[in-house]
Amino acid sequence: MEEIVKTEGLTKRYKSVLSVSDLSMRVKEGRIYGFLGPNGAGKTTTLKMLLDLVHPTSGEIFIFGKRLGKDTRREILKNTGSLIESPSFYGHLTGYENLRILQTILDIPEKNIDEVLKIVRLDKQRSKKASAYSLGMKQRLGLAGALLSFPKLLILDEPTNGLDPSGIQEMRELIKALPKQYGMTVIVSSHLLSEIDRMAEDVGIIANGKMMYQGSIESLHEIDRSKSLEEIFLDLTGKEQSL
Amino acid sequence: MTQLLKCEFMKIRRRYIFITALVVTGAMLAWIYPNSHSEDYLRIAWMGYLYELPLVNSIFMPLLSIIVSSRLCDIEHKEGMLRQLSVSTERGKIYDAKLIFGLAIMLCCIFISWLATIGFGYYAGFGGKPPIKLYLLYLLFTTAVTFSVYIFQHIMSLCFKNQAVTFFSGAIGTFFGVFSMFLPQLPRLRKSLIWGYYSALDFVGLFGWTKDTRYKFAHFDVMEIDMGAFFVLIFATVVMYFIGREFFKRKEF
Repeated sequence: MEEIVKTEGLTKRYKSVLSVSDLSMRVKEGRIYGFLGPNGAGKTTTLKMLLDLVHPTSGEIFIFGKRLGKDTRREILKNTGSLIESPSFYGHLTGYENLRILQTILDIPEKNIDEVLKIVRLDKQRSKKASAYSLGMKQRLGLAGALLSFPKLLILDEPTNGLDPSGIQEMRELIKALPKQYGMTVIVSSHLLSEIDRMAEDVGIIANGKMMYQGSIESLHEIDRSKSLEEIFLDLTGKEQSL
Repeated sequence: MTQLLKCEFMKIRRRYIFITALVVTGAMLAWIYPNSHSEDYLRIAWMGYLYELPLVNSIFMPLLSIIVSSRLCDIEHKEGMLRQLSVSTERGKIYDAKLIFGLAIMLCCIFISWLATIGFGYYAGFGGKPPIKLYLLYLLFTTAVTFSVYIFQHIMSLCFKNQAVTFFSGAIGTFFGVFSMFLPQLPRLRKSLIWGYYSALDFVGLFGWTKDTRYKFAHFDVMEIDMGAFFVLIFATVVMYFIGREFFKRKEF
């Protein structure tokens, strides 16, 4: 299976703080890759580097087999959808108008808007101002924006943050369906082990900016059959780290 | 770029930016026009307005620049849209599209106030014909200084999430510009910051005015037109544009 995302020696330093250290990430095509780590482990910084929102101090990023750089940035990001930190939207515009702006910038067919609104089940709320949406609806609008061009790669940073249990389940089912229905590769970050366990096929565990484990979820379970997944995670990340 | 400009139109829906800009322009005109002019002043009022307008511009145009740039850029910061736009298109294009859109609004306001001034001159019965060449030169200088001030405000509004930074830096600049108007004996002072160029490029002087006779024996005349200052301003504006663009492109979100 082809590696759609590959990083080599990826490092990000903010003055004296080493946020991401010598990270090697491997994401296979058509899979859901769970990026797991305690709060402040370096997940968001890594994902931002994949999107060229943050510039690496050193190391290289390869996406779709191309090295992320000035010349390839546009081509790579054109095929990448993202939802980083919190959903982005214009509060004074309706859900539809928000997506219309992204659709115009991305130069994709207008029918995609209706399609993604249906996927995230916001089609009946399309004429409502985004500022009046509930947190769950804002999160779904953010996801609709990420899905708008039906990208090959989807990067979601803690997409279930702030959602209620039914919202979390809904989001999870939605994400799980994406590789099969649309052939997407999904990278989804979370600090919740149970979330990743239910959603992802492959997992990367990061702590203190370093990759502690990378492989399939099954292999993670097999590290020590006598221990629960939570115990294995704590062994890998260090017990002093918060979950 | 056309698509991004189209998006700028879509984004300002329900933001009333054009109306706000027109209200500020209207306030500026309301500041100038109601001054009832004596017969003596009306005789020389075409040139008189060229003398007085730079002072009014030095107050209102920077204020308008702060308002327009801040309202255009604030929407990008509020819910993290800059991050979304940055992965959807090139950052340089975002910077340019927003700048072109803002400058177009400013140009509309400048042109409206310019036309309204000439219209008012005819309506109020200013003596003689308007010196169109000088009014065009005034339009050129006003546009150049205002564009320069707007580019500064655009950079501040786009690069800093906290719009208070934009407001205070603009307010300090405006204060400096107005202050420099009252210190003609310090020509270097007014050329040291872009806001001072409303004054530096003011080319009309008042002669023969006294407290007792007022405008009876007074006249306005063209003084030195400082084209050197104009080119320095253009150069500084271009440099500022590229520095701002590069800074925005390198900014991390």
